[in-house]
Amino acid sequence: MDFLLSYIALAEIYVLLGLSTNLLVGIAGIFSVSQAAVFGVGAYVVAQSLITGTMGFVPAMAVASLVCITLNVLVTLPSLRVSGDYFVVTSFGIQLLATAVFVNWTAGTGGANGLPGIPPPDVFGYKLETNAQLAALTTVGAGLGCLAFWLIMRAPFGRLLRAIREDELAVAAAGKGVLRAKVSAAALAGAFAGSAGGLYATFLSFIDPVSFDLDASILLLTMVVVGGARTLAGSIVGPFLLLALPQMLTFIDIPTTIAAATRQLMYGVLLIAFMLFRPQGLAGEKL
Amino acid sequence: MTAYLEAKSLEVRFGGLLALRDCGFTVDQGRITCLVGPNGAGKTTIFNVITGFLKPDTGEVFFKGHSLAGLTPQAVVAAGIARTFQNLRLFVDLTALDNVLTALPSQSGEEPLAAIFRPLHVARAQRRRRDEAMAILEHVGLAARAHDFVRNLSYGEQKLLTVGRLLATGAELLLLDEPASGLSAGALEAIMALLRRLQAEGKTLLVVEHNTRVVQQIADDVLFLHQGHLMATGSPAAIINDPALAEIYFGGAI
Repeated sequence: MDFLLSYIALAEIYVLLGLSTNLLVGIAGIFSVSQAAVFGVGAYVVAQSLITGTMGFVPAMAVASLVCITLNVLVTLPSLRVSGDYFVVTSFGIQLLATAVFVNWTAGTGGANGLPGIPPPDVFGYKLETNAQLAALTTVGAGLGCLAFWLIMRAPFGRLLRAIREDELAVAAAGKGVLRAKVSAAALAGAFAGSAGGLYATFLSFIDPVSFDLDASILLLTMVVVGGARTLAGSIVGPFLLLALPQMLTFIDIPTTIAAATRQLMYGVLLIAFMLFRPQGLAGEKL
Repeated sequence: MTAYLEAKSLEVRFGGLLALRDCGFTVDQGRITCLVGPNGAGKTTIFNVITGFLKPDTGEVFFKGHSLAGLTPQAVVAAGIARTFQNLRLFVDLTALDNVLTALPSQSGEEPLAAIFRPLHVARAQRRRRDEAMAILEHVGLAARAHDFVRNLSYGEQKLLTVGRLLATGAELLLLDEPASGLSAGALEAIMALLRRLQAEGKTLLVVEHNTRVVQQIADDVLFLHQGHLMATGSPAAIINDPALAEIYFGGAI
């Protein structure tokens, strides 16, 4: 039971990340491979706030969201100058830079050893400690994220983003601000990734740089590709499915030494297979 | 008296190529002005300069007495000038209705915060906008295709839709880049009738057009452009019957 609950809670955190990645990559067409870095910053901000006791969980989440909004806008700004392939390289660099900071800034992040002993979240005076309580919290978080995403996509803002992805020049010719819309999308994606980070840190009570490295960024892209780009359903299906795979591996008798490598291999194969044979994913549109 | 639209000594250089040189002309309000000239004469470049997509090296464009220099494409549309593209540039993965809706000005819910925190207000405003967009589709004769994806429309229908998207901006001066090219006889008639109807409703049209028959039928004034320079201006009959211009246009004289 606990096993199932923690799977659900973790998947729900990744749903928020899936929404973030989908918004940026799938909808706004900003091909970022550094979403895990933003996720990590959110996680470290909340973890440090709670460990040092500077503030409670709710204000820490708000601060993490704000920091990640700012960060994601800054990180995305180059995409307005360099386009397409060049931005992927820039974004790749940003991810490597972030990992270097996570690993080496021992005072802030605990370095490669990570930050252990993150206190459980407190919401309006209640400490959430059991797995069921934490799962309830992530459900609320993911639910709010999905609601926001759904509202955005059916509003004119969603239509504007789709139009921008198709033809920026035509959107400008129709008298709309392309830059403003892109910055807004990046800000939203930052808020989603930051909140996901905060939930992740308090749920696991331990974080280290491995969760926020390039592999993690690519995992997020794989989730969007497998689930399906640009749809709410895709952002939900992808994380639930991809996080279920390693759990299933535990039922097969493979040595633990190669379990991690097997997982990476499966993710890689899935990414390639979907790109080639089903680019619209299970429940979405073509990336 | 200030001209409705006036271009003054425009010069645009692309590396060694002089796309526009000392190019000046005026467009009168309420008329259909056709911009003609051989390929490479600079017609589309003029559109790009007027609409803020291209900054001229020298010269300026004035709209109702105000300079358009330094305005972004967005600001030019807000000033009342909008354009179509020769290669259409429709949003092919959206429906015809969504294409028109995208171009309607200043909508509530175009900001993510409004979309999230005032959903009911946004939904109400959207219903009104849909009615407006449907009326525009009706106007260009595409009401029946409103919910079809643009990729499934015929070329003629797509051309009509570019005009629909243009109208949605609310602009009063419409720049159309080859609205009649590549159309069948029936679609050609439809688009010419539409352009005349727009004129009757008070719009001013500046049209790049190659087809001399179309020019003769719709133009009030013709601007003849050659090698980036305004060579002649006058009534369609006067321009088309001028043997020297015909030589340039059809003979490919250097």
